[in-house]
Amino acid sequence: MSAPVSSIREPLILGHKTYHDITEDLVSPTEKAPPLSWIMVFIPAVALLSLGTFAVYWTIYVGIGTWNLNRTINWGWDITNFVWWIGIGHAGTLISAILLLFRQKWRTGVNRAAEAMTIFAVMCAGLFPMIHMGRIWNAMFIFPYPNTRGSLWVNFNSALLWDVFAISTYFTVSLLFWYTGLVPDLATIRDRAKGLRKKIYSFFALGWTGSAKHWQRWEYLALVLAGLATPLVLSVHTIVSFDFATGIVPGWHTTIFPPYFVAGAVFSGFAMVLTLMLIVRKVLHLEQYITIAHIESMNKVILATGSIVGVAYITELFISWYSGYIYEQAAFFNRAFGVYWWSYFGMMFANVVSPQFFWSRKLRRNVTFTFMLSILINIGMWFERFVIIGTTLARDFLPSSWSYYSPTWIEISIYLGTFGLFFTMFLIFARVAPVVAVAEVKHILKTGGDQYVGEDAVKGH
Amino acid sequence: MKNNNNNLWIGKKDLRVNKEFVENAANEFKDVPPTAQEMAENGSTSLGTTNRRDFLKVLGFGVGAATLAAGCDIPVKKAIPYVVKPEQIVPGVPTYYASSYVRGGDYCAIVVKTREGRPIKIEGNKLSKVTFGGTSARVQAEVLNLYNNNRLKSPKVKKGDKFADISWKDLDKAISTKLTSNTRIVTNTVLSPTKKKVFEDFISKYPNTKVITYDPVSSAAILIANEKSFGKKEIPDYKFDKADVIVSFNADFLGTWISPIEYSKKYVQKRKIKSIENAKMSRHIQVESFMSLTGSNADNRIMVKPSEQGAAIIYLYNEIAKATEGQSVNGLALEGKAKENLSIVAKELLGAKGNSLVVCGNNNIGEQILVNKINDLLGNIGSTVDFTEASYQRQGDEREMAQLVKDMASGRVDTVLFLDANPLYDYSGKKKFKEALAKVKTKVSLGYSLDDTAVACDYLAPVSHSLESWGDAMPKRGHYSLMQPTISTIFDTRQAELSLLKWSVGVDASVEQPYYQYLKNNWKNIFFSEDEIGGFRAFWDKTLKDGVYYSAPESVEVSFVADVASAAAGVSKPGEGFEVSFYETVNVGNGQFAENPWLQEMPNPVDRTAWGNHLQIPIGFDGDKNFVLFNNLEDGDTVEFEVGGAKKEVAVVSTFGQMQGTVALPLGYGRKYAGLVGSNVGVDVNDILADKDGLTQYYLTGVKVSEKVGVDKDFAHVQYHHTLGVTAKDKETGETKNADEAAFPDSFWKDVFGVEGFQGFLTDRTIVFKSNIEELKENVEELKEKRKEFKHLNEQQIYNGYDDVYALGHHWGMQIDTNLCTGCGACTIACMAENNVPIVGKHEVHRHHEMSWLRIDRYFYGELENPNTVYQPMMCQQCDNAPCENVCPVNATNHSSEGLNQMVYNRCIGTRYCANNCPYKVRRFNWLDYTTADIFNDNEPTLFEGQEMATLGDVSGAISDDPLFRMVLNPDVTVRQRGVIEKCSFCVQKLQEGKLNAKKEQRKLRDDDVVTACQASCPTEAIVFGDMNDKESELNKRKESPLNFIVLEETNVRSSVCYTMKVNNRSEEYKS
Repeated sequence: MSAPVSSIREPLILGHKTYHDITEDLVSPTEKAPPLSWIMVFIPAVALLSLGTFAVYWTIYVGIGTWNLNRTINWGWDITNFVWWIGIGHAGTLISAILLLFRQKWRTGVNRAAEAMTIFAVMCAGLFPMIHMGRIWNAMFIFPYPNTRGSLWVNFNSALLWDVFAISTYFTVSLLFWYTGLVPDLATIRDRAKGLRKKIYSFFALGWTGSAKHWQRWEYLALVLAGLATPLVLSVHTIVSFDFATGIVPGWHTTIFPPYFVAGAVFSGFAMVLTLMLIVRKVLHLEQYITIAHIESMNKVILATGSIVGVAYITELFISWYSGYIYEQAAFFNRAFGVYWWSYFGMMFANVVSPQFFWSRKLRRNVTFTFMLSILINIGMWFERFVIIGTTLARDFLPSSWSYYSPTWIEISIYLGTFGLFFTMFLIFARVAPVVAVAEVKHILKTGGDQYVGEDAVKGH
Repeated sequence: MKNNNNNLWIGKKDLRVNKEFVENAANEFKDVPPTAQEMAENGSTSLGTTNRRDFLKVLGFGVGAATLAAGCDIPVKKAIPYVVKPEQIVPGVPTYYASSYVRGGDYCAIVVKTREGRPIKIEGNKLSKVTFGGTSARVQAEVLNLYNNNRLKSPKVKKGDKFADISWKDLDKAISTKLTSNTRIVTNTVLSPTKKKVFEDFISKYPNTKVITYDPVSSAAILIANEKSFGKKEIPDYKFDKADVIVSFNADFLGTWISPIEYSKKYVQKRKIKSIENAKMSRHIQVESFMSLTGSNADNRIMVKPSEQGAAIIYLYNEIAKATEGQSVNGLALEGKAKENLSIVAKELLGAKGNSLVVCGNNNIGEQILVNKINDLLGNIGSTVDFTEASYQRQGDEREMAQLVKDMASGRVDTVLFLDANPLYDYSGKKKFKEALAKVKTKVSLGYSLDDTAVACDYLAPVSHSLESWGDAMPKRGHYSLMQPTISTIFDTRQAELSLLKWSVGVDASVEQPYYQYLKNNWKNIFFSEDEIGGFRAFWDKTLKDGVYYSAPESVEVSFVADVASAAAGVSKPGEGFEVSFYETVNVGNGQFAENPWLQEMPNPVDRTAWGNHLQIPIGFDGDKNFVLFNNLEDGDTVEFEVGGAKKEVAVVSTFGQMQGTVALPLGYGRKYAGLVGSNVGVDVNDILADKDGLTQYYLTGVKVSEKVGVDKDFAHVQYHHTLGVTAKDKETGETKNADEAAFPDSFWKDVFGVEGFQGFLTDRTIVFKSNIEELKENVEELKEKRKEFKHLNEQQIYNGYDDVYALGHHWGMQIDTNLCTGCGACTIACMAENNVPIVGKHEVHRHHEMSWLRIDRYFYGELENPNTVYQPMMCQQCDNAPCENVCPVNATNHSSEGLNQMVYNRCIGTRYCANNCPYKVRRFNWLDYTTADIFNDNEPTLFEGQEMATLGDVSGAISDDPLFRMVLNPDVTVRQRGVIEKCSFCVQKLQEGKLNAKKEQRKLRDDDVVTACQASCPTEAIVFGDMNDKESELNKRKESPLNFIVLEETNVRSSVCYTMKVNNRSEEYKS
């Protein structure tokens, strides 16, 4: 009984998988001892995490002066990394929520890993606003808690405060989304496990029995959370962009920032998902679940968002010229031809020029090319944030105060440390839960399995 | 707790039935514990309603919390109250004493602010007719010198290589026996008449004694030339306030030359624009090779190599002589532009006969005599150059030192007393001096700190600081000034005068303050030779209170008698090759101030570098799009600088206005023994100075400057970009082009793709408005138009002011007249002293972590090789629509009802968004624990990276951890913790004090109630502060001028500080 699926749609699950095959393929990695390849990656990840932990400790003990920020450039790698990680954390929720609402079936192959990635990326991102504070021990001042100081409130006009709310909300909703999605799969693992493992998975499976009522409620919850998360995808980076747009610094003070930031975030998020998925796919042998079709779909999104970002860059240039305001003009002239010109052109090439290759179907479906480009885009997006923060601050209104900035080893270590954190978390995740949503893949088997649809479909099904 | 449950309201029933509840409802705080008084009345001993269990809970928590708290290692800082309160000291109320600042020949009449018996701030004394209430950076920083840890703290005697303790009694005994044979007292200029009397008494006891006077930076040639020209070995009273044309040959009279505070005050009298219609200014022409502070204020500069100064003076002299029928002299020929320009100078001087002034800072007798004659021919003697109130601020003659070296070398000197002089560092013949000194049997230092000379002495008889001493000064004829102690001696020190008296004529042991008595008697002898009982006492008390006393001297008339022809033969001769000028900076002098961290951290106003001396190298333009850097050296590269066989490695800094073919290097750095702060900072050049006719010359010819040999990794430069669109000629078209903007793009784009900066990139910035006096009217109109446009733009915004909020009460504002600002930097140090601004050290300044709340931005404009300069003091502009305020997530920076942008340090969490968003970049972040105020131990930075912490002994390494240093802190201002932002507060603590004073006296606030530290320190009154709502205030009078503008007005931040358009009187006739 094949579902009414257009014959030109490519199948999303290859290899004539049965339901049992899917369970075996996706759940078994959590049940075996870690392979050597996993250990080889895990050790450097933990090493990086330790380095980062030391660098954070040193920052807190000695002071922000361990970084090379100065009286003119008060934000550097810290906020650049923050915005970068937040951007990366965009793809997960976009894939889970918006694509769910749009009923894009190809999302099932990648949504679990993308959501996990979102959560870990937001954790990495959240680190930076914390440690960039001069007095982290007073960080609670940022929350509007009742107090006896007469009463002393936070400044609701400040974009930094909006950030606190936006990011914490986004993190909470993303976590819920991810976890509710995991529940049926955890139950599957529970059912196959024995002993202590069984007990642990029983606890986290929340008593899931797979009854029709459970499934009904589960689907409703997914829809409700998707509805909640969809505006968040747009709002988080909008608000992050307000961190700059509400400032008066030429180069920051622009109304184009919210859409430009959101597009950039989706862009970088998809690139990061691709980077990760292409590795996972290879290492865990999931080529039949994460197919070339998946990769192509993602590349199309990258092409679209990359082009939006390109339009935004060019609009910025036009507006600065059209404004007739010399500080604005100077800021953009300096971006392109000033001391940090290489980061501007790095950004332009990586973010605007390179995605244009995806107009070619052949390249879209080329795994190696996609992998290289996804990394290039991540570098480009890092440059974008550095251009906005570093270059802009280095040359602002008063030439007397112009300065230059390059990071110390502490700043670099913290950045590397966030990679350590990210990969440590992701690797542990890949050992304890299925990296592809088992239940959701099973949902689409009859509409996406190659025995049912596509050229290889077996007659009689 | 438990009992409080009684009055919980549960339901309607309670309200109706329970009487007790109804009663209690009106008395909400029923359970507040009774006061001690109530308890006594009730005869109760228990604490209100607390029962046993509650008590135990509280006790348990209390003990637990205390245990936890005790476990944390929080350093204990002791505050010890008075056991018996001194009568004059009211805690929290400052006491002011009039006194005098005297360092060698540097003089300033001061008022010292003390709090709880500690001097914490120095202000100018407005009653003085010499310094007029102005101060300099050095004067402001002197209070910190009192708390210098490199001070000599007790008498010592050298045993072997080390100094051992000795009591004063033993020291006195030991030294007294050694003074009978040939003794020399080596000192810098002595301004004190009573000290001179002490010398006389000393000599009367020991007739074989001679006093040798020299100055760290010599002006001996002026004294000698004046003796030859006019028969007066004095420095005349230069009346800059009467001169319409001022020509200065290398004299840095606004910065360091003789009496800069006085000269600055007088100079600006003719620099102020009083009306637009009849705008008038003096014309100031500076003839020099490097950009001095004075040269940067000049209208026109004529570039002359240091060795060609003689030829230039002769040329000018002959031009003047030609026109005034004076005797012309033969001399060196002068070629090129300088010649043409000096002809114009001559014309201008002749046009202002009697109202012009030529001064010369060269230490060359012939040149000084010729300058005297020029002034004489111009009829300036008696008008702008007057000997009636001649200055005594330079008395040194280094030829005496040369004689001393000879005497010592031949064994004719047995004992040398160094009286607060450091010749082993600052005397140019110090190598020979050191060799000769070894032959002297007894060397005694009556010095203040363990300096390069003290370490070579046998006995150290440490002197007290001037703030711990009695004394007097006569800086000019007829001007007297008293010095009084403002604190008892902190260490076991004794003022030099007293030591000399004890060793010679002896003092009456029964008198408590023998030198005070001596001083008083001497004054009585000077002023009251006829015995007027009672009269002296009143006079003394009044003078002590005022600090200064003036009695008009009889007028002195002089006539020129010297031989100009022989003078012309003695001028400096042009040399070969590269030339270097050495000069004194406003901050460290010739090393006398090198131990003071405030002055070390203060950037040199012209090259904007701190913590060291840097070789200033010329910068040119290739006529296309590249600046031509000398030897392709970038700022901070080090070079080998070679002259006469001596090699020095020094970092370079490209400086606009530096003549091609010359370099310049400040004096005063590289002292070997200058404590934690000044030791080995920079390069010492005193040992390579040459002399002519026995006088030290501050230039050398035949200098070799190598290619880059390294990089000063901690090169401390606070300003990277220096120009607002300087212009140069295009090499192809010959047209004037904006060199600065053409050179702006990164070299990759410029050289490979030919990208040029766009017009207006720098020139059209709304930061500084400037005009030539000739075009003043048009430029004022233009400014008016621009401000109208800014206003229009601002009206389009959502935020339209809310000015009515500030219409009531006070609304603080400031006006800064950039035409009066000479860039001397006194205000920057005053600000550091008043507001406890931390010192961060060389490495941190290199990283642009300087904490200065007030800085002086310096921009060059006009012709690239010979530009004009504008100094712009920049501090928090206290914007009424402050961009920093709305971005702070925790409201740590907010606005007061009086228009002040306030920082709440306790609330700040250090996100630094405010600093990013500040268009003026005046917010400062405490990057590291500069003040030892955070909870972590041992994380304080040292002044220099990698400096051994042990250098400070028991101190952990940060200078702020030194308890002696901390005595200078102003108790009215919070010391900020690491991780918080700080910035100018408009001296809010002083505003509060002023408001309270007015309130106590039940009157309206006056201008003089509220004076900010920067305003008070300014020698030229460039800064005016006040209440914008007070229509009578000086501030509002100044704000009426159409020359006013607001920096970045179009951003609608609504700054409360406005500036005056910079006007110069540059003549376009001069060729550059």
